[in-house]
Amino acid sequence: MSALTSTLQRLYGFWWIVLPPIVGSAVMAMIIGSIVVAPREIIEGDVQRLLYIHFPSILAAYGAFGVVFLASLVVLWKRDLRWDAVARGAATVGVLFTGLTLATGALWGKPIWGVYWTWDARLTSTLVLFLIYAAYLLARSMADELDEQAARFAAVFAVLGALDIPLVMFSVTWWRTLHPQPIVMRGLERPALPPEMLLVLMIAFLGIGALALWLGILRTEAEWLAKRTATLRAKIDRHEGA
Amino acid sequence: MTAILEAPILQTEALTKRYGGLDVVRQVAIALPAGSRTALVGANGAGKTTLLAMLSTLVTPTEGDATIVGHSLKARPAALRRAIGVLAHAPMLYEEMTPLENLGFFARLYGVARPEPRIEELLRAVGVWNRRHEATSVLSRGYHQRLALARALLHRPAILLADEPETGLDPEGIELLDELALRAPGLTVLAATHRVDRVETWATGLVRLDHGRVVEDTASVIGTPQGQVQA
Amino acid sequence: MSDTVGPAMAVVMKDLRLAWRDRAGWASAGAFATIAVLVYSFAFDLATGDIRPLLPGVLWTTFLFAGIFAGGQSFARESEEGTFDALLLSPVSPTMVYLGKAAANIIAMLVIEFLQLGLATILFDTNLVSLELLVIVFLGTVGSVSLTTLLSTMSASMRGRAMLLPVMALPLLVPLLIGAVRATGAALNVEVGAAPWTLLLAVAALWSAALSVLLFPIAVER
Repeated sequence: MSALTSTLQRLYGFWWIVLPPIVGSAVMAMIIGSIVVAPREIIEGDVQRLLYIHFPSILAAYGAFGVVFLASLVVLWKRDLRWDAVARGAATVGVLFTGLTLATGALWGKPIWGVYWTWDARLTSTLVLFLIYAAYLLARSMADELDEQAARFAAVFAVLGALDIPLVMFSVTWWRTLHPQPIVMRGLERPALPPEMLLVLMIAFLGIGALALWLGILRTEAEWLAKRTATLRAKIDRHEGA
Repeated sequence: MTAILEAPILQTEALTKRYGGLDVVRQVAIALPAGSRTALVGANGAGKTTLLAMLSTLVTPTEGDATIVGHSLKARPAALRRAIGVLAHAPMLYEEMTPLENLGFFARLYGVARPEPRIEELLRAVGVWNRRHEATSVLSRGYHQRLALARALLHRPAILLADEPETGLDPEGIELLDELALRAPGLTVLAATHRVDRVETWATGLVRLDHGRVVEDTASVIGTPQGQVQA
Repeated sequence: MSDTVGPAMAVVMKDLRLAWRDRAGWASAGAFATIAVLVYSFAFDLATGDIRPLLPGVLWTTFLFAGIFAGGQSFARESEEGTFDALLLSPVSPTMVYLGKAAANIIAMLVIEFLQLGLATILFDTNLVSLELLVIVFLGTVGSVSLTTLLSTMSASMRGRAMLLPVMALPLLVPLLIGAVRATGAALNVEVGAAPWTLLLAVAALWSAALSVLLFPIAVER
C-alpha cells in the first residue's frame, strides 16, 4: 500500500467524525445568512440570493471533476479499483452540483434576462460539462462493479472529458458570450460585493464545499462497499468463505 | 521419445491476476522445457483461461512476470507475441472473408515471409484447401476450428497456447489436431483441456490448477531464466 | 518504415474489404444519412422560408450521427467474433491497429458524406462541391471518426452500446461541431462572425485524433 493511500485513509477516519457537524452548521448558516443576513440586492431583488448557491455550486463541481480526472489517472496507472470508486463518487457529486448550478441559473435568468435558458457561452459550456459527466456515470453503470476493463474504459473517457473542457470553454466563448463577468474575483483588494454579501458568500463556499466533500465521501464509500460485497460474493462462490 | 532436460522455453514467476480483490490466478510458477507438451487441467474457474490470456499478453498480470523464448511479458510483449500461436475459445476468424483471405491477412500482420506456399501447405494440411474460396461463415463449426488451427500455426510459433482445443472437433479433426499441434515434433504446447481421458495420448507433463494455484506439476524443470539446469 | 506501416495498411485493406463485403452495415449508415438530410430539409422547409442558413447544421448533425452509428456497428462485429483479440495477439502494436481501423472508418465515412454533399447540392440548390468545403468535411470527419473509433472499441463489450455511444461521443465533439458548422457556413456565405472557424475545426480535429491515438493502447489493455 502506498504512503498516499494510507495517509488518505487516516484523513478519511478523521473526516468521518468532523465533517458531518461542519456540513450541518455551515449549510444552516448559509441558508440563514443568504435569507436573513444578506441585504436585498437593489437592482435584481430577492432572486439575487440564488448567488449563494449558484456560484459555490459550480466551484464545487469543478473541484469534483478535478478529483474525477486525478482518480481516473490513478485507475489507469495503478489498476486500483478503489480509485474507480473515488472517481464515481466525485463524478456523482460533480453532476449533482452542475445540475444545481444550471437549475438555479435558470431560475435567476428568467426575471433578469427574460429567459430560463439561452445559448450563452458559460451556460453552454456548463451544460456540456454536465452531459460529459452524466455520460461517464451512465457508461460506468452499464458494467458491474468489479469489471476492471469497464473501470478502465470509464477512466479513459473521464480523461478525454477533462481534457475536452478547455477546448469546450474556448470554442463556446468564440461562439457567443452573454454571461456577466465574475464580480467577486474582480480584484481581491476591493471586491465589488458589499461586505455582508461577501461574508455570506464566503460562508456559502464553506457550506457547499463541505457538503460536496461529504456527499463525495458517502458516494465513494457506497461504491466501495458495493465492490467489496461483490468480491465477497465471488469468494463465497469459490467456497473460500469470507 | 525422451524429453531432454534443457533451459525452460516458458517460465513464469509468481504470476498473479487479481480481479477486485479476488486472485483468479495466484503465484503461478512453472517452467516448461522446449519441445514439452503440457496439459493444463482444473475445474471451471480454476484460472486456466486467465493464465493463458496472461501468457498471450491479452491480460496484464497484477503481479509477476513470464518469459517466453527469452522475451519478458512486461518488457518485450511484441517480440513475445511473435513466438506464440494461440488457439482460443473463439475461432477468431473474419466470417465475411474466405479462408484464403483470412490467412493472407494474418500472414501480413505477422510478416510471414513467402506467405503463399505456407498458406497452401496449412490449408491442405487441415483439409480446407478445396473450400478456400468460400466465405468462412458458410463453413461448419469443425472447419472453423481447423482453420483456427491453421491461423495459430501460420507464423511457425515456437509455442502453442491452446484453450480447449478439442471443442467442436470430430474424431477426424482431433486426429488432425494431434498431428499438427499437440503431437507435432519440435512444437512446445501448453493446452488447457477438460478431456482428461486424452491427456496421456499427447501430453508429456501436466499442470493442475485449483482456485488459481498450482496444486500439481509434473511438467516443469527446475532451471534459471538464464537457462542453467540444476536437475 | 514500411515494416511499421505495413500492418496498419493490412488492417485498412482488411476493414475496407469487410465494409464492402458487409455492405448492409455501411449502406444503412448511408441510407440513414440520406433520410436524415431529406427529413431535415422537408421539415425545416415547412417551418421557414429560407433553409439555406440551416444547411451547415443539417449536414453536420447528420454526419456525426451517421459516423457514430456506422463506427459502432463496424467494431461490434470485430468484438463478437473474437477477431479483435486476434489483432491484439499479433506482433503489430495496438497503435497501428488503431490507425488502420480509424483510417478505414474515415474512408468509408467520407464516401457517404460526399454522396450526401451531392444530394444536398441538388436539394438545396447550393454548390456544395468546392475545395474549401471538401477540406472542411475531411477535417471534421478525421476528428469525429477518430474519436468514435476509440469510443466504439471501448463500448463494444458494454450493454446498450447503441444508445451509449452517441451519449458519450457528442458532448466531447461540441467544439468540433461548432468549428465545422461555422466553417461550413462561412464557406457557403452564411453570416457566422469573423472568427477563424476552420482553424478551430482543425484544432478540434487534431485534439481528438491525437488523444485517441494516445489513449487507444491504454484503453485496450486488460
